[in-house]
Amino acid sequence: MMIHTTILSWVTFVFFAAFVFYLFRLLFNRAFWGSLATATAWAGLAAQTVALLLRWKASYELGIGHIPLSNLYESMIFFAWSIVFIQLALERLTAVRTIGVFVVPVAFLMMAYASIAPGMNDRIEPLIPALQSNWLTGHVVTCFMGYAGFTMAFGCGLIFLLRDFATKTDGWISRLPSSANLDRLMHQTSTLGFIFLTLGIMTGSVWAHYAWGSYWSWDPKETWSLVTWIIYAIMLHARFVRGWQGKRMALMTVFGFASVLFTYFGVNYLPGLHSYLR
Amino acid sequence: MPKPAGKLWSLFSSVKLTIVLLTLIALLSVAGTIIPQQEEAEDLIHRLSPGVAGLFESLQLFDLYHARLFYGLIGLLSLNLVVCSLNRFPLSRRQAFAPPFPAPAGLFTGLPPDHILATGQSQAEATRMLEPCLKQKFRSVRKNETAEGTILSVQRGRCSHFGVYLVHASILIIIAGSIIGSLFGFNAYVTLKEGESAGDALLSGGKGTGRPNFTVRCDKFTAEFYENGFPKTYRTDLSFLRNGRVIYQGPVLVNHPITFENTRFYQSSYNQSRGGTAYISYARGGAAGKALKVREGSVFTLPEGKARATVLRVEENLMEMGPAVKIAIASSRGTATFWLLQYIEEIKRENPDLLSRVPLLNPALFQPYRFTLERIEPIFSTGLQAVYDPGTPVVAAGALVMIIGLLTALWLSHQRFWVSISPADGRALVRVAGRSNRNKAALDRAIDRLCISLRETMKR
Repeated sequence: MMIHTTILSWVTFVFFAAFVFYLFRLLFNRAFWGSLATATAWAGLAAQTVALLLRWKASYELGIGHIPLSNLYESMIFFAWSIVFIQLALERLTAVRTIGVFVVPVAFLMMAYASIAPGMNDRIEPLIPALQSNWLTGHVVTCFMGYAGFTMAFGCGLIFLLRDFATKTDGWISRLPSSANLDRLMHQTSTLGFIFLTLGIMTGSVWAHYAWGSYWSWDPKETWSLVTWIIYAIMLHARFVRGWQGKRMALMTVFGFASVLFTYFGVNYLPGLHSYLR
Repeated sequence: MPKPAGKLWSLFSSVKLTIVLLTLIALLSVAGTIIPQQEEAEDLIHRLSPGVAGLFESLQLFDLYHARLFYGLIGLLSLNLVVCSLNRFPLSRRQAFAPPFPAPAGLFTGLPPDHILATGQSQAEATRMLEPCLKQKFRSVRKNETAEGTILSVQRGRCSHFGVYLVHASILIIIAGSIIGSLFGFNAYVTLKEGESAGDALLSGGKGTGRPNFTVRCDKFTAEFYENGFPKTYRTDLSFLRNGRVIYQGPVLVNHPITFENTRFYQSSYNQSRGGTAYISYARGGAAGKALKVREGSVFTLPEGKARATVLRVEENLMEMGPAVKIAIASSRGTATFWLLQYIEEIKRENPDLLSRVPLLNPALFQPYRFTLERIEPIFSTGLQAVYDPGTPVVAAGALVMIIGLLTALWLSHQRFWVSISPADGRALVRVAGRSNRNKAALDRAIDRLCISLRETMKR
């Protein structure tokens, strides 16, 4: 087993540990657990970054050098990386940690699925002609930053719904961010995701223009990315013009995230041009 | 601005309609990823009863993205966008250019302590010091003298009110670009064998109008593979001709289309055609061999003139046994027909009794000659997509406008600041307050920063 694959399987457990610490912070109200959670997540992210760089270097040693963003395995690893990166960035900016309870497990599940799913190909393979393009990096990075932004919004939405359903208001429920804060965070992270998804669709279009002969061919992944884009566009309009807030927005983030997941995974079960992700 | 009255206007100016239209477009798009579309629908159509298939086809279910319903929804959405934008624009303009004075009511009440600066200067002196500092940061400073003191007003991010109109305009530009493409562009697939040409007749066989008046010739197709069998490179060398003269030559690769007179050629697929050139040799007994270059249908006579050999087939890969050539040799002894395999020695090693079981594979079937196949040069045919789309630059411009618009609308905010300089016990009291159209947190941070720099200015 290559060293980067070993590191990545360890990172899976590090993210799981970080999730447990985030949960402890919420349940037991000790600042210690929060600091430990953040430190663990940073450690996992750093190790994952090193592993990705090693994998990149290893691909050059195999004489087929390319950025590790070229198949389902590599994209899932990068999805997890983006989620943890945005979580930690948001923690620094807003000092809100609790979202980690809901989004770090998503990163953990991505890593776990990438490591153990049957038929998952974790070998470094050469790029087929369709992927030999300078647009690969820009397209994949913008798309996954967008997906990660929507994952954060989904985390905020879940916490909002949890607060909403909870009958008691004391204990750990009271340590969740306030509804107003969650509402603002849901909006900001969805906006971030929306801008990146727009960039992702555009870079994809430019690439398709060079590779497939048309900037848009109604390939299922293209179509589903448009559907996701429309869902978040509706969300922005509902808020800006019709003043939607709170629970409705929280439901929209869950709905939007379902569409994101379908755009990423579900589409693989439909015939189309993005078949390298199967 | 006069506002056309009427129910239609109010219908099209509603965001509810936008949401309904966007939802319908999304649902229709999803349906198109589930129901097979265009060529892919043929299987399904054959399985359906003619009545049902006819009904579905008249509903354009198998070409949803080009259906009347889809175009209709896009048309309504465009109209909705235009009416909504026209309707809201005056409001945005009023907000963007709202006069700073009189300052909003209650602006300076309930300020946090760090937004209130006690100074050692007089009111006039403080104003004289603060005004250039604000001017340097915001360029334009408005000043108002009130009963309570001097108020300076600055602002930034006015354009954030207009970002949304850029986004709406960009969507219309992109729709316009795609209409231009479908009206004036064309899209065709051409399959060319090496050495073959396609003229405008072939090229215009596809959808759309535009007719290129040149000929394209496939000179050579190259496919390279990695060690694991994955494709590495597909490349076609093309020549463009007019009146029989080559005017332009170049390669086309996946991700690297070639453009000639506004028509772009893409490497889209390839095929190995039957046939090709086989390099064979034969020897008689221990004598030196004779090498030949043959194709399907080639005829050659063996020395001594008694036997006549015909090449029946040239196969790139015969039943997973590799390159093979089928030869029939007619002589006074009758006709001997056999396959010549390039890898016969390897295959024989794995199956020692092969030749006795399958004499058809014996390269020495026609005694006393022994034939050898050195190699085959296959003939490829390349699948090219020829595209002319004058709408592409329009769509690209639309995308650029959209990004600028989104960043302006979602990233920036219109921040307005008021600095009140009022006398308190002969010393100036400076209070800083602000208003913003969105992102209160960013405004608070901006006021904090402003207070810090104002405090430093006053110390100097």
